[in-house]
Amino acid sequence: MASNDDDTHVPGGATGTPGRLGRLGAWLDARLRFSEQIWPELAHHVPRSSASFWYVFGSATLLCFVLQLVTGICLSLVYSPSAAEAWASLEWLTYREPTGWFLRALHYWGSNFMVALMTIHVVQVFFFGAYKYPRELTWVVGCFLFLLTLAMAFTGQVMRFDQDAYWGLGIGAAIAGRFPFVGAIVVDLMLGGPIIAAETLSRFFTLHVFVVPALLLALVALHLWLVLKVGINEWPMPGRLVTRERYLEEYHQLVAEDGEPFVPDGVQKDLVFSGLVMVALVTCAAVLGPSGPNGEPDPTLINTLPRPDFWFLPLFAAFALLPAYMETALMLAAPPVLFLLAVALPFYSGTGEKSWKVRPGAWILVVTVFVTLGTLAWLGIRSPWSPQMDAWSATPTPVEMVRGRTPLQLQGALIVQSRQCRNCHALGGAGGQRGPALDDVATRLTRDQLIRQVIQGDGDMPAYGKNLLPAEVDALVAFLVTLHPANEPPARDAATLGPGVAGAAR
Amino acid sequence: MKTELLRARSGRQRRRAATRGASGTPAGQRARQWIAGIAGQVVAFAALALAACTGLPGQPDPAARPIRPADVKDVNVLYAGNCAGCHGAEGKLGAARPLADGLYWHVVRDADVRDVVTRGIEGTEMPAFAMSEGGALTDTQIDLLVTGLRARWQGTPLANRGLPAWSVGSAPAGDLGATQRGAAVFAARCALCHGATGEGGLAPGSLVDPSYLALVSDQALRSAVIFGRTDLGMPDYRGGRGETPLTNGEISDVVAWLGSHRVASPRWPATPQRANPAREEKP
Repeated sequence: MASNDDDTHVPGGATGTPGRLGRLGAWLDARLRFSEQIWPELAHHVPRSSASFWYVFGSATLLCFVLQLVTGICLSLVYSPSAAEAWASLEWLTYREPTGWFLRALHYWGSNFMVALMTIHVVQVFFFGAYKYPRELTWVVGCFLFLLTLAMAFTGQVMRFDQDAYWGLGIGAAIAGRFPFVGAIVVDLMLGGPIIAAETLSRFFTLHVFVVPALLLALVALHLWLVLKVGINEWPMPGRLVTRERYLEEYHQLVAEDGEPFVPDGVQKDLVFSGLVMVALVTCAAVLGPSGPNGEPDPTLINTLPRPDFWFLPLFAAFALLPAYMETALMLAAPPVLFLLAVALPFYSGTGEKSWKVRPGAWILVVTVFVTLGTLAWLGIRSPWSPQMDAWSATPTPVEMVRGRTPLQLQGALIVQSRQCRNCHALGGAGGQRGPALDDVATRLTRDQLIRQVIQGDGDMPAYGKNLLPAEVDALVAFLVTLHPANEPPARDAATLGPGVAGAAR
Repeated sequence: MKTELLRARSGRQRRRAATRGASGTPAGQRARQWIAGIAGQVVAFAALALAACTGLPGQPDPAARPIRPADVKDVNVLYAGNCAGCHGAEGKLGAARPLADGLYWHVVRDADVRDVVTRGIEGTEMPAFAMSEGGALTDTQIDLLVTGLRARWQGTPLANRGLPAWSVGSAPAGDLGATQRGAAVFAARCALCHGATGEGGLAPGSLVDPSYLALVSDQALRSAVIFGRTDLGMPDYRGGRGETPLTNGEISDVVAWLGSHRVASPRWPATPQRANPAREEKP
């Protein structure tokens, strides 16, 4: 069927007699003419200095994206995007379906790797000045790819429809609801109603599986097209300034003098690194396994500590720490403003020095951003945002606080448990951390202050005057005044220099 | 050629450039090597994926999966999550009565325990745990707890002897005879530790404190006399070495005497009324 003349179109040209496969390839290529169109593109020359291990993170991100597509398609064969069945289908995937857990682990770690590699890629591009003239559009498209990847991460977290997903969605909807005038409409559009209900998951499934990936594919194609057409950034040298007048000429001269074909030479290190990323990814998935699903997404199960996935922790912590009066303004305005500043970067810093070695401002910016994000992420992981709802019944009173107590004090210790004081106040290092630990509360508050605090509350602490009988307050305070170290006396009233009238009597 | 060699950043690139210059290897061969490399990666990836069928460390353990609180069936988990807060991690030395107490499980019947857990005990801090009463446990879980905790803590059967009745219903209020007999029993059997008036002695604190008595029911007092708090050093109704066990009647009488110290409505704990001389001197 195939004529031997067509063999000349096989990439690189065949040496020797072509096998059966080679002939098939030649037959196809004779009609598709791929080697004419695509091979020259792949083999276009790039600066030899760019064939560096610093230039591999973009392709590694692309590899993760492709893997996400493959594992995502596999998962969608089993996953049921309905609020009633999603959790059960995740359980099935994780515990029953052979290799289902591994697919979930690959998809989860793939998303982690993708976000991480993309972040490194952005930082590298920033440090190497690759966003400068004439690669402004590549940078702008990259910024939107970053945004879309985060959108994939958020919607993907919703696909893992468990307690974290439920409350994460609740936080997202609460933020959307803050938009002036249109808040309710946005929430309605996002959730398919005013609350997280049957349609919500369908909407996010559509976003996660159709809309965002389609946009990603289109923009990835555009990004790659720009990389091919504008050319890979050369290794930046201090003193080699970018000017709109001379840069293109200099670049073409550099490629002509000291270039090499992208395929097969330039792509070499990309492939090596991609292989390493793949091994690391499979290892993480095999050793660390998938994430969740944790508890059922049932809002009546309150004993949960919902946290977003890693990349949203800084945002989560920042929003939690904002003072109430600036919440709406910063939540709605700060992310778009920061994003626009990032997008516009090549337009206010499009020429001049590229090398990180002579751009201290770049270092200050990157270090500041990452220290801030790291600190916020740490706070997001460590901070006890919510009470420990089962502390009252699950964390025993420390034994040393039971021994040697009077009957009334023991009743007080019982009230600390049964009235759920422990949910917010720790004893002996166990319990909630919304309020201060009570281990040495008697050294801070006199008996009178304790009575007032319990009855009237203060700041975040509710007033319990209506919820406790007089005798119960008496017992509770009788117990609390015993909570001080043996070598440290209880607090004394500044006016009377005594422990309080009734305390003295007891 | 010379400038190219000088510009190449690494030795490897230099070698590669030199090789290319010398032999001019056809790009096609290397392209095939790359294709083979990619294929190798895909095959290795697939092999690893298939290896996932067998137990890898990342495979989630079905036993560790999250289950709804209402589906928990392990008695020890139920105890740790719902009871340990007050009754102690090991069933003793908690703020509330110890349950790791063989005598308790011999005196109290399953139906009684089930009722206490289901509805709580009015007049004490024991809350209702049944879902039907606003708690968090299903009836099945409560049954599991009752039988499971009995199995855990009942211990060896006691010799066949007259155990006191756990509950006798509430005694008629103001039974002066019982109160007087109870005072005598208290003086004989309790005063050594709790003081002649019940306001404390070797054992710290008052038993007749109006606030304390407002927070414990007669049944709770009766349980305290019958079972003591052996984890904190208070003996049960059988008393110390060489003492005769309290009879059912004596237990009721002591409870009546303690109960007679109750006041109608205990006041809020006192806060100091600071004397303000200037104000007091005003007419």
